[in-house]
Amino acid sequence: MKPILLRALEDDENIFVCWSNIEKTPDGCFSCYNTLILLDRVKAFMKRLLEYLKDYKKECVLAPLFKMLEASFELFVPLVIASLIDKGILAGDKSVIIRSFLLLVLLGFIGLTASVTAQFFSAKAAVGFATELRHSLFERLLKLGFPEIDNLGTSAMITRMTSDVNQLQNGVNMFLRLFLRSPFVVFGALIMAFTIDVKSSLIFLVVIIALAIVIFSLMSINVRQVKNVQEKLENVLTATRENLKGVRVIRAFCKEREESKAFKEDNGLLVSALNKAGNISALMNPLTYVMINAAIIILIYVDAISVSKGNMTQGTVVALYNYMSQILVELIKLANLIVLINKTLACSKRVSAVFEITPSQTEGTKETLSNEEAVRFDHVSLTYEGSTEETLTDIDLSIKKGETVGIIGGTGSGKTSLIHLIPRFYDATKGHVLVNGVDVKEQTYESLRKKVGIVMQKAVLFEGSIRSNLIWADENATDEELNKAITDAQAKEVADQKGGLDGKVEPSGRNYSGGQRQRLSIARTLAGKPEILILDDSSSALDYLTDLNLRKAINALPYKPTVIIVSQRSASIMHADKIVVLDDGRIAGIGTHEELLKGCEVYKEIYESQYSEDAG
Amino acid sequence: MKTLRRILRYVKKNIWLMALSMILAIGASVSALFIPIFIGNAIDSIADVVGKTAGNEPVWSIIREALLKTGILVVISALCQQLMSMLNNKVTYRVVGDIRKEAFDKIQKLPLKYLDAHPAGGIVSNMISDVEQFADGLLLGFSQFFTGVITIVGTLILMLSINVRVALLVLVLTPLSFFVARFISKHTYDMFKLQSETRGEQTTLIDEVIGNEKVVKSFCHEDESIEKFDEINARLKDCSLKAVFYSSLTNPCTRFVNAVVYAVVALAGGFSVINGALSVGMLSTLLCYANQYTKPFNEITGVITELQNALACADRIFAFLDEDIEKDSKVLDDTNNREDEKNIQGHVIIKDVDFSYDPDKPLIEDLNLEVMPGQNVAIVGPTGCGKTTLINLLMRFYDINDGSIVIDGKEIRSMRRHELRSRFGMVLQDTWIKEGTVLENIMIGKEGASREEAIEAAKKVHAHSFIKRLPKGYDTVLDEEGSGLSTGQKQLLCIARVMLMQPPMLILDEATSNIDTRTELMISRAFNKLMENRTSFVVAHRLSTIKNADIILVMKDGHIIEQGDHVSLIAKGGFYKQLYMSQYANI
Repeated sequence: MKPILLRALEDDENIFVCWSNIEKTPDGCFSCYNTLILLDRVKAFMKRLLEYLKDYKKECVLAPLFKMLEASFELFVPLVIASLIDKGILAGDKSVIIRSFLLLVLLGFIGLTASVTAQFFSAKAAVGFATELRHSLFERLLKLGFPEIDNLGTSAMITRMTSDVNQLQNGVNMFLRLFLRSPFVVFGALIMAFTIDVKSSLIFLVVIIALAIVIFSLMSINVRQVKNVQEKLENVLTATRENLKGVRVIRAFCKEREESKAFKEDNGLLVSALNKAGNISALMNPLTYVMINAAIIILIYVDAISVSKGNMTQGTVVALYNYMSQILVELIKLANLIVLINKTLACSKRVSAVFEITPSQTEGTKETLSNEEAVRFDHVSLTYEGSTEETLTDIDLSIKKGETVGIIGGTGSGKTSLIHLIPRFYDATKGHVLVNGVDVKEQTYESLRKKVGIVMQKAVLFEGSIRSNLIWADENATDEELNKAITDAQAKEVADQKGGLDGKVEPSGRNYSGGQRQRLSIARTLAGKPEILILDDSSSALDYLTDLNLRKAINALPYKPTVIIVSQRSASIMHADKIVVLDDGRIAGIGTHEELLKGCEVYKEIYESQYSEDAG
Repeated sequence: MKTLRRILRYVKKNIWLMALSMILAIGASVSALFIPIFIGNAIDSIADVVGKTAGNEPVWSIIREALLKTGILVVISALCQQLMSMLNNKVTYRVVGDIRKEAFDKIQKLPLKYLDAHPAGGIVSNMISDVEQFADGLLLGFSQFFTGVITIVGTLILMLSINVRVALLVLVLTPLSFFVARFISKHTYDMFKLQSETRGEQTTLIDEVIGNEKVVKSFCHEDESIEKFDEINARLKDCSLKAVFYSSLTNPCTRFVNAVVYAVVALAGGFSVINGALSVGMLSTLLCYANQYTKPFNEITGVITELQNALACADRIFAFLDEDIEKDSKVLDDTNNREDEKNIQGHVIIKDVDFSYDPDKPLIEDLNLEVMPGQNVAIVGPTGCGKTTLINLLMRFYDINDGSIVIDGKEIRSMRRHELRSRFGMVLQDTWIKEGTVLENIMIGKEGASREEAIEAAKKVHAHSFIKRLPKGYDTVLDEEGSGLSTGQKQLLCIARVMLMQPPMLILDEATSNIDTRTELMISRAFNKLMENRTSFVVAHRLSTIKNADIILVMKDGHIIEQGDHVSLIAKGGFYKQLYMSQYANI
């Protein structure tokens, strides 16, 4: 819902400020509005984000200046009216009236020009700022290493890129337009009043302070209430999503009525929270209205006394009355601006935090040639950041060129962690990982990752065509090579069905099923003809038969890559040259299927859980 | 029109509150309108106080009286306004709450066919934002519209009563600002559209690249992504600048029109004062009105767009509320209901069943199957062959097109859905965790079960040991995603539910595929115990799970192509054998 107080800002400035935006970020609130936090945020903005405005210095100065110009012309209007009344009407001089009229139109026109100029400059600065920031942020995010990506989280990164930057654009825009204008009008009115009549200006001073207190405290209460509303709304949202997701389970257990009952409660709480918040924010208008009118009543009475003493004229009373009316709107705008700025600064803090992250890995410089020992783990241990326990412990393993290695183990045994060390997605905490005889830390990412082709567990495709996806690993691949990769990956059927290499791929490959995406992402990796091919549980969505055909095709690849297959299925790895059994981050056994069946308890258990004794 | 009538139904319940709110709106606007007149009176009198410093002169009592009246009107207007807002809030939120509740109840009753075809995100946004926009736009919009109209009409009447000529001038000139605003917004619309499209395009790219950054990095594809991003970014800059700038013209332009109107009033009013047709105070009143007069116009313009928007939202909401729901058949076979629990044995006969999701693509045709009480049925086949369809039919998530399914002598379509579904215990591949404690999650299986029973069930499925280690054991609060638990652990909880339920029949849809084989070994022991003497349907791709089944259904492309037990199917040497042997193939 959109409380009236925010309309003031919207009406006057821009349809961009939308209450729902302000609503959704709890840290934009006054309750946490203490100076320290604010200073901290300002500092963050200055340090990291100000530079994106540096190409717009001119605009940043001119926009508020022109806005101020507009405001000062507005401040002249009551004075013109006063002279129109005193010198024109009361003196019966029609030429003064006509001149005043022309002056008013002129003031309006100058105001229009100034304001349009200001809007242009501020729009230019804000949009330019956002554009450059977005570019740098995107670049920055792509520079982060895997540990940093894990820390930050995908959804946070996307929020930074989208709503946070948009919010910043809006904040900069509003700030440039309003930060001089609103205070200028308020204090301008005060000063004008002061020049007209000192005693009246005291009334102005008192009412400005009183209004400021009321407006700001109401808003701070309101923001807190809105936060409360959000929490309740979140519950309602969760309940809804949860129900949609679990609809089969809920129906299977016949829990529809209970769910409805629980929802009714959540919903009721939301309604009462909304009511409370709505009623408080509704208070703003009548309350300030009463205050400003009380001030006007006092003003007129006090001024009447001055007039009676001959210290003031009727026209100046009208002028003061007009000034009084201007104050209220501007004060409300100012209060809104401060909320907006505080919120923008919160965004800027979050965005600058991204720039603050220093990648934990530094790129090496070497390029390698293929070596008899493709991969070597030299007493490697891995502890993820923020974790207290080792995920991998003392892994010592050598993989020869052209070998097929299977890695098997239960969920959480460290299979994926192990292979992620090979393309240096993560750095080993202890020991060394060598590819082609050289420590991965000494190699360039490009050289390393072109050699190591990995098919990740989560299969994704990117918007474009099948071809545009497949040439990721090798831009110069011919159609023939791509088609070969597709056939090898058992994806021919999929590609044919979607229209061959030019088959359309929608964003994130959403027009493909999980299994189809998986096959195509295998094809994508195969198209790069990697020296070392890693399949991370890539066949989990494939049935046994397809899985078998895939392994056959990989075995027949002419360039004989080193193949590492990670799987939970015994069937997928049992024919490998070497099988590595992982258990709780340690190597529980290395050997061929037959050797392990005899000597490795863990392997035997896994195998037997999938095949009963009378197998075959 | 139909929509409007429907909306009125919701408002009807609150008709008296609405009426009261309208009366208050009239009170608030009218009293506010009179304030400038009294202030004008006071200002007029100021001209006469010169030299009369003593407070008891008659002119002073006129001033005092005018100011007193002003004060009273201010208070009345403020009170009316506050009360009106409170009433409006009450009605609006009540309607929002009611509709949301109705929509939620609807979700509980909609057929799966609808829910499967409509993404959850759309339904949620329908229920949350559409409802909100509808109520906000329609009810608050209406009250604003009403107040606006009263203010406009009232201002006009009062201005006319003060000075006809000036009033007419204002009347003629003000629509100008309205047209200017219209003109600008019409022309900025296209740019906003372009901006939001471009922004959408960019967001899609961001979602894709940042969301899958690890893949991008594994292919060293960062530079290409940045290139693509920059191209969109440049376009966005261009259209964004236009949209932001042009839209920001509305206010300066309308303000200019207002300034002109204001100047015209000053001019015409000034002459009238000199001619004696107007007093200075009344001129100030007219100026005040001229200033205020355009505001409700702007508001009404805003309200009209909001109203249109709200109607569109209402249409969507009503369309959702009007969807057909799952209904139990009118002819219910209530024979041997409850009183004879022993009748529930799990005897299932599927006879001549036809089914398809899409009438153009026949899926299951002529399916026949008889399952004796206590038999285990395994359903196998390649991915996407329609294994889960059979489960959808058994649970009546979808209704068969033709044929019949009879369970313990009763056609399932003549049973209450609850009765049917409570005979089955179901574990699906996708785990579902409800926000709440671990205990609450297990208790979904059986209403009113004791804590001990729940723990007992957890122990049986080997979930007890990991639950024990959670920060607060069985009272650990889980969120919607069940974060903090591994997929396997979540699945164990789901299995514990069924264990607690002790249903007569079981459905396991790839239930153990997310659990590593060693844990699975433990679970399957529990399952075997659970499946003992219970009719069960198991979808699995681990053939070891399947081998011991009494009946194996081999499905391909929606058809059952082979049927029999393991030995007979292997002997037959068909697709099943091929499938089965592939896991031992020598490579």
